[in-house]
Amino acid sequence: MKRFLVIILTLAILMLVSIGIAQKVTLNMIQVFTSPQRTQILQNIIKEFEKLHPNVQINLISPPYETAYQKVYLMLSIKQPLDIVEVGDWSLEGVVRLGRMENLEPYIKNWSGAKELVPGLLKAVRATGGKAYIIPNGVYAKALFYRPDILAKYGITKVPQTMHELYADSVKITNPDKNQYGFDFRGTGLPTNFIDIITTSYINDIDPSNMYKLTNGKLWFKDPRAIEGLKLYLDFYKNTAPKDSINWGFDEQVNAFVSGITPFLFQDPDTTGLLNKLLKKGEYKTAPLPVGPSGKVYPSYGFGGWGIPNYSKHKELAWEFIKFFTTPKISAYFCKEYGALPVLKSVYENDPYFSTGVFEGWKEMFKNPKKYVFTSYPLANPGWTKWTKYQQDTMQQCLLGRLSIEQMTDKWYEYWKKSFGM
Amino acid sequence: MRKKHILAKSFRFFFLSLYLLAAVVPLFWIFITSVKPSTEVYTYPLIYWPKHFTLENYKFLFLFANFSQYFKNSLFVSIISSLVAMSFATLSGYIMARYKFKFKKTLIVFLFFAQMIPAYLIMIPQYKMFSDFGLINNLWGLIIVYVNIAVSFSTIMARGFFSRIPRSLEEAALMDGCSRVGAIFRITIPLSLPGLAAIFSFSFVNTWNELFTAALFLSSNSKLTVPVALYSFISKAGIQWNVMSAGLIVALLPTILVFAVAQRYIVAGLTQGAVKE
Amino acid sequence: MTAPFIRMMKLSNSSRQVGLKLKRFIFWMLLPTFVIVLILTYYPTVEGSILAFKDYSVFNFQNIHFVGLDNFKTIFEGPEFAIATWNTIWWIAFSVTLQLILGFALALLMRKPFKGRGLYAGIVFYPWALSGFAIGILWSWLLNGQFGLINDILIKMHILDHGINFLANPKYAFISVITVNVWYGIPFFAIMILAALQSIPTSLYESAEIDGAGSIMKFFHITVPYIKPTLVSTVLLRIIWVMNFPDIIYGMTRGGPAGTTNILATYMINIVYFESDYSKASAVGLVIISALTLYTLFYLKLTSSYEMGEL
Repeated sequence: MKRFLVIILTLAILMLVSIGIAQKVTLNMIQVFTSPQRTQILQNIIKEFEKLHPNVQINLISPPYETAYQKVYLMLSIKQPLDIVEVGDWSLEGVVRLGRMENLEPYIKNWSGAKELVPGLLKAVRATGGKAYIIPNGVYAKALFYRPDILAKYGITKVPQTMHELYADSVKITNPDKNQYGFDFRGTGLPTNFIDIITTSYINDIDPSNMYKLTNGKLWFKDPRAIEGLKLYLDFYKNTAPKDSINWGFDEQVNAFVSGITPFLFQDPDTTGLLNKLLKKGEYKTAPLPVGPSGKVYPSYGFGGWGIPNYSKHKELAWEFIKFFTTPKISAYFCKEYGALPVLKSVYENDPYFSTGVFEGWKEMFKNPKKYVFTSYPLANPGWTKWTKYQQDTMQQCLLGRLSIEQMTDKWYEYWKKSFGM
Repeated sequence: MRKKHILAKSFRFFFLSLYLLAAVVPLFWIFITSVKPSTEVYTYPLIYWPKHFTLENYKFLFLFANFSQYFKNSLFVSIISSLVAMSFATLSGYIMARYKFKFKKTLIVFLFFAQMIPAYLIMIPQYKMFSDFGLINNLWGLIIVYVNIAVSFSTIMARGFFSRIPRSLEEAALMDGCSRVGAIFRITIPLSLPGLAAIFSFSFVNTWNELFTAALFLSSNSKLTVPVALYSFISKAGIQWNVMSAGLIVALLPTILVFAVAQRYIVAGLTQGAVKE
Repeated sequence: MTAPFIRMMKLSNSSRQVGLKLKRFIFWMLLPTFVIVLILTYYPTVEGSILAFKDYSVFNFQNIHFVGLDNFKTIFEGPEFAIATWNTIWWIAFSVTLQLILGFALALLMRKPFKGRGLYAGIVFYPWALSGFAIGILWSWLLNGQFGLINDILIKMHILDHGINFLANPKYAFISVITVNVWYGIPFFAIMILAALQSIPTSLYESAEIDGAGSIMKFFHITVPYIKPTLVSTVLLRIIWVMNFPDIIYGMTRGGPAGTTNILATYMINIVYFESDYSKASAVGLVIISALTLYTLFYLKLTSSYEMGEL
């Protein structure tokens, strides 16, 4: 009898175990901002999650950054197995319009973490028809990166506060004979942010909900203040940046900044991940973006986040993971290691990392919302997808002297007039 | 006469050196970069000789970035697909070289036209087709795509090689009582080995380097190929050139090896003289 | 038994039966190649071509519909298309001509054995073993105006005072991408031509020498005619590949600055990557195919290599 019981028990245990194995769920998760470091960070977070949920296994897909969205579009449109999808703000509307993303509002309703998010973030995410389709995992905004060691050589110890100071400092140190330039210009790789930050800093009434409109609802492309701003942008190229930079994207920018050829750079916080590897502590710092003659500057407020395809078979588990990712410990780890601004209030408040050292620049900007007006792009407008490339190409023509500023802004005006249906 | 000879020799030496220089400079630079620590890569003035020689980039590739797995995948995919393409091309190339039949011209044009189609035009329909058959994120699926990439050019090449082997040799074998297939295996194939080696190496290089289909088709980390892995070193924030260079060096090794072996066959085989008509 | 007799015996079989057998043999031998090309190249080509007449772009994925020739209108109206078309012609003409001349020269130089020729070949031919995309990003790095290796070497040798903006000035940029493409393509021609050169019987040269022919005579009367089939087919294929080869330009300039180095192939992938407009990209793809078809017909007529059976 005893023996019989033992056999039964063993069998039962075996069965349970085998069911347990059979029931091991695999979640497919795709990231879009792939880099070797980021993949490693995400794997570490996944490991933590799998420890808490032993029957879950997450398969991380990391397509090369430049082809990532093509892959996401295709995988979603033919319903390839995906449970967690990363999307960045610039492509969010396009992905949502595929009709394959789950509306996360019902999930958010029952989620206490929603209140913990940085104010205004959910509103920015809801640009897609008022509904949230992703939960942000990181926030990006441009700040001024500078090289105190290089600047000190030229007697510059005060960080430029205005666009004109930045321009003057840049001109001062520019000396092509020594291969020394000032401003780390970006001519390619979609330089929309760079163009707009300098241009709009001349205008004091930009609509914070639409970078290309004034608060009175008109487009600013024909505004004389914008022309002045664009003139400064061109002067930065002509007088303080290498001519070669018309063909520079992110890689050349980082290269020129690290080598000290151009000690002033506008960049996102995710550059810190790479810069920390290439430079010693204190060799670079960040400061708020310089303000323009309007006394303001309009950085855009970018974000990426996780969403769930509506055909996923494991929505609840995917949501569990997203919630897990948005807990203070994990979120802080991710933002610190990868280099993103935190999405949670508590992380800002409790973790000194994000208010000191390399993050100082952003802290200053967030403290003063009247001067640093975080502004949204018209990301839901159908004109948006082709705009960034169009703006880049026309700007390059202008930099080459094939278009005047006025001819260029006329084109821009027509483009957006048509897109906004004005 | 002697003077002229020396002149010709130095002329030849000079130009051979020029070609060598053009090839070596970039290779030298990637190699030097691959043994530099990351702090010496983005400097001005440039550092021509590493101050701190390091293998950390190669360590990064193999210990951290799972490169040995990608390398295995790439080898597997490239070797199998090149072999399959070569076998198919041997069959069809032989027929196209030896026999006259209806639609032959059409078939040649058919293969030729396949070369003209931009990869981007067919990539998305191909993707949809493969997903219907569950061949996405599957190395065998990729092999099928690569066989298709390699087979039409291989056939065109095989046809050229076979037509250079005199028919009389085969006919002689037939007369000696060989079957048609026997004659092909005993006479034609051994004689065309150099050609087959060339076909294989061309296919191998092409499939080894193929990036965009692989980037689209493969998803799991354990299934990626070397070019996809290299491409994913380019991130939103920049390229780490020291790691990238190490990857490029590693990626070059198999193609150079295959080519070094194949080249011996091509040259040796074609000089044997048996091929004269 | 004498050989001709066997031959006669074989022929004396019912010729129809032999014919049928032969047909079957031909059919089965050809089958694998053609089936795979038909399914994996032609079927998707038809699908992709249909896309060119639809609206299949981001923001419209749920509303894909036929739009007739709208996509073609859009591309023909934009200034990029004309620039890209002209550039494609120059790109092919210069790349292939220089690849051929320099590749031919290298093959001639390497023809006679010398010490270390194997190693030399390994090093000189390696560019061909790199992927086009890797070459593109590698050279954009080497040619950088501020921190690129090439400029640095030229400045150190006191050939230049300042770095040249190889990729910023439209003219230099186009010259640069072609130069890199030549750098990449020389080995291919050299390999093909070297192999062909080895097959020229030395007796031909010997008898020419007896007739008192000089090296230039020998080159034009023996070398060139003998390897002409190889040259013709290599050039023909190379032109098709070079036209469909966006990798180097894409890696170096993305077709910039201001679209001045775009060829049709990079114009096409720029549309895929930056506009996510697949139907417009397919329309460009169809233009590329049509141009290549016309070119091939013309080329074959011109060289009549069709008849030579060396396609």
